[in-house]
Amino acid sequence: MTMSRCVIVGGGPAAASAAGALRAAGFDGSVTIVSAEDVPPYERPPLSKDFLTGATGAGELQLHPRDWYTDLGVDLRLGTRVAAVDTAAHALVLTGGERIGYDSALIATGGTARRLPGVDHDRVRYLRDLADAGALAKRLATGEPVIVLGGGFIGCEVAASARKLGVDVTMLEMADHPLQRVVGDEVGRIVAGIHRDHGVKLRMGETVQSVHAGDDGVLVTTDRGRLEGATLVVAIGLVPSTGLVARGEVALDDVNGGIVVDGYCRTSAPEVYAAGDVASHEHPRYGRRIRVEHHDNAIRQAAVAARNMLGAQELYEDPHWFWSDQYEHSLQAIGRGDDCDRTVVRGSPADRRFSVFSLSGGRVRGVFALDRGADILAGKRLIRSAALVTPEQLADESVNLKRLAVDRSHR
Amino acid sequence: MKAVAPVNDAPATTAWRPALAEAELWEGDMTPVVVGGTSVLLLNVDGEVRAYLNRCPHQEWALDEGEFEDGTLTCSRHLWEFDARSGGGINPADCALVSYRAKVEGGTIWVAVT
Repeated sequence: MTMSRCVIVGGGPAAASAAGALRAAGFDGSVTIVSAEDVPPYERPPLSKDFLTGATGAGELQLHPRDWYTDLGVDLRLGTRVAAVDTAAHALVLTGGERIGYDSALIATGGTARRLPGVDHDRVRYLRDLADAGALAKRLATGEPVIVLGGGFIGCEVAASARKLGVDVTMLEMADHPLQRVVGDEVGRIVAGIHRDHGVKLRMGETVQSVHAGDDGVLVTTDRGRLEGATLVVAIGLVPSTGLVARGEVALDDVNGGIVVDGYCRTSAPEVYAAGDVASHEHPRYGRRIRVEHHDNAIRQAAVAARNMLGAQELYEDPHWFWSDQYEHSLQAIGRGDDCDRTVVRGSPADRRFSVFSLSGGRVRGVFALDRGADILAGKRLIRSAALVTPEQLADESVNLKRLAVDRSHR
Repeated sequence: MKAVAPVNDAPATTAWRPALAEAELWEGDMTPVVVGGTSVLLLNVDGEVRAYLNRCPHQEWALDEGEFEDGTLTCSRHLWEFDARSGGGINPADCALVSYRAKVEGGTIWVAVT
């Protein structure tokens, strides 16, 4: 089949990455990005961090200057919504009715912040895009008390940014610790300590029963009592934007959410690919579908998807890496800790400078690090090499972890 | 309109300063030094010395805490990757390290910092 028209639906980092990868691979047909946002693709990670505190301005978030798209011959259609993908006719249908035909399409629509039903007020904020972040920054600038609902990464980062601004923060979370779902009990307890030490009031293990927002404030009622604040930040997860595909035409993942893609980022519809937060990917490394909401994954996965759109047949098997910056701390993780049979701590949890290595059958499968980026870099090599290691080696700080990975390659 | 600098303007003065003994920087190694008050990262890339500001262009994290492997320098904070030979960004591509001229003379690595 002649490939002359590639379309990318979505305007985040995945879209920009895919466009760049198409051109880098030598594709000289048309590349169109259709994005509902009014600005070219930008970096989302700072939205909950330096953008909220004012340290980074909106202009600095741009992934590429406008010229980049022009120079690459990428048609950037901003402020444009795709209502549907007509997979049979190979065309995008825009909300106004216009159709854009394609030979190959990438769905990189990401998602939207999960909303609290029945609460719609200026004092209740969400955080996903630049406009959300701008509105939240304005609320924080008032200096009035903030309630953060949700102790995930967005909740933790918003709490940290608000504290940097001197704002009073209370965090409400159903689990026993912030980030517990991702990092487990022990590390979650340490993360809780970090937030507490920075003045966040943590109310863990509480379930929200009702939220009332009015012009004079927000009232949250939980199973343990009432909580008042001036602003409520709802950070309870992401809903993948799959509304543009018809369930019968493109397989959706009912468990993880998102659009099902195989190891090559192909959806169940011909010549339709998906990447980034919206893609539930049959991961060759983990042998099951995984959908992650990571900046790095969006960029890498979209680049692989783009090359596959051109016929490359490249398996996407990145182990996944992500980071979070909270206060002066750097949290990073690579690989996965689930399905592992033991964990090993390297460094000092008491000093909040440590890593947790997750092993399965004597091989490193995942690393979480608090202020130990070098362990992530070494862990990446260990994961890739699948070298057999001992818990003693991992725990011993005199052992050069990178060398453990190298040894394997020579045997 | 920006003012145009007169063509006979004197160039910024850069002085060669001794940074490290040549023998202390093995091939494939990197080491942080302070030269004239500037934090500099020295790398020996396949026998050639390179000198960069020891700060990632992303968020100014010290690069010597990262990794230098197979000609790629990786910042440990957000895993930005740079070509150790050119200083150019690999991931992301549209960035670059601040580089200084470096030379080896008389068993010493010299770096030209402003």
